[in-house]
Amino acid sequence: MGGLRDTFAEVLHELGKEDPNLVVLVGDISHYRLQPFAEDCPGRYYNIGICEPTIVSMAAGLSKAGFFPVVHTISPFIVDRSFEQIKLDFCYQKYGGNFITAGSAFDYAALGCTHHCYGDFGILKTLPRTQLVYPASDVELTELLRQTYNNEFVTYFRAPMHGHSQKFSKGDIIFGKGIKIKDGKDLTIIAVGSQLETVLNARPRVKEIADAEILYIHTVKPLDADLVRQSLRKTGRCLVIEEHSVYGGVFDDVLRAARDLSGTRYSSIAIPNEFIHQYGTYQEHCQRLGFSVDGIIGKIKDELL
Amino acid sequence: MASDVFNKDLRKKIVEMIHHSGEGHIPSAFSIIDIVAHLYRNVLKVDGKNPRWDERDYFVLSKGHGCAALYVMLEERGFITKDDLMKKSKSEGILGGHPDATRVPGAEASTGSLGHGCGLALGLALGLRIREKDNKVIALLGDGESNEGTVWECGLVGANLQLGNLCYIIDNNGSAAQILPVSDMEKKWESFGWEAHSINGHSQKEIEDVFQKIRFEHHAKPKVIIANTLKGKGVSFMEVHGPWHAKVPNAEELKTIYEELS
Repeated sequence: MGGLRDTFAEVLHELGKEDPNLVVLVGDISHYRLQPFAEDCPGRYYNIGICEPTIVSMAAGLSKAGFFPVVHTISPFIVDRSFEQIKLDFCYQKYGGNFITAGSAFDYAALGCTHHCYGDFGILKTLPRTQLVYPASDVELTELLRQTYNNEFVTYFRAPMHGHSQKFSKGDIIFGKGIKIKDGKDLTIIAVGSQLETVLNARPRVKEIADAEILYIHTVKPLDADLVRQSLRKTGRCLVIEEHSVYGGVFDDVLRAARDLSGTRYSSIAIPNEFIHQYGTYQEHCQRLGFSVDGIIGKIKDELL
Repeated sequence: MASDVFNKDLRKKIVEMIHHSGEGHIPSAFSIIDIVAHLYRNVLKVDGKNPRWDERDYFVLSKGHGCAALYVMLEERGFITKDDLMKKSKSEGILGGHPDATRVPGAEASTGSLGHGCGLALGLALGLRIREKDNKVIALLGDGESNEGTVWECGLVGANLQLGNLCYIIDNNGSAAQILPVSDMEKKWESFGWEAHSINGHSQKEIEDVFQKIRFEHHAKPKVIIANTLKGKGVSFMEVHGPWHAKVPNAEELKTIYEELS
């Protein structure tokens, strides 16, 4: 399943034709998908090699030369392997650039932990001048990329293979703004990126036990704290569901944003602080980790109601 | 020894600055000062009054701890002032133990952690080529820095992309030999596909000759100059590895250093 990788290639192709300052560097991934870009934007597409830290440093050099670089590969090779290059070559020196992953936290389920990245938001969040987005549908990726690719920040796009089925229009997608999917009064469910799908699937059963407000977050940093606070003031109960480590994800920022709202009860579904040693499919990993309808119902009943 | 040393005044200035600041790497600056001085006096097209001039050449000091050599040349070319030098490593100053390009006019990269400036220079050279601009990109790396894997990633990529507008200078001052030796540097770079030159990095003539010889051009082999140098070159008791690496001379030592550099 290609997921958003086809969309990513198409958007870059369009942007590349519009903007001669867009340059794409990949670490031998999506090479064939990006051939239309390569053909129509000569001299601005490079399959550099299997040397991600150097790709990131080079991207900073391109930014220094006035380009808007896009680096694309699997998230652990961007975030974990090349963290210091993002930190020092981009953030410290105040260069802007774009990092677009192939996949979410454990989309490469069958390939094992070397290709997983559970803490990307947590560690990138610590760096000044980073913007973190998690577009889990075509329109989100397209709009968020268009809105941010040429600014002076480092923008990290966690582009999953498994999106959600909620339909948004272009106008719904505003960088830094969460989206209220449904009004409710008993509790707030905050779905981040791909896990909106699980929440949508859980709606009929959730409805049986509570009138839930559903918020969707595509921009992880900066978090739309106003939207979160507004909802939690009303419901006083909150469940965050995110394909991220229990450390450093959106849940942490929700707690920070709402720290002065007394009496609120919280729960979250996240990736435990363990490596997922099992292989299998994305869906199997989700079931195992509680990213499921049963997982949501269980959390609501046991911890929030 | 001091008899064959030129750029004595610059060396004195480096020592004075570091003595005053209470922090710095004198030997690492002394091994590169002759080359850096030649670059800023004879090779690089720069304008101290217009640090971000589009037509400038770029010098990236990848071995950031040699920054004292960069700072004295930036002062000579009018990017910064003598007052800036005297405030090095002070909270009110802009110069530190490693350069912060966001604060120092003329410093092209913030370096310190090794193996970063070389990749940034590579991307910059690629960017200038995409724009069909003739600006030179020169990055100075250490031989100790050459223990970093990213240096060799850059070696592969630079050759593969044929970035002939890029030149690395390796300050081969013997540091790596104390740690993890990088032998046959010239052959290594040649085998990676670079146009490699070896020189005595303290010989004015050899420095001049190599930059006469090198042609910066797009779509050609990138260049590398292995500059065989001496850490601490110019002051006899500093020409050793170890004790003087990050030592700041006291008043008595300062006097002796000045005598040797007279």
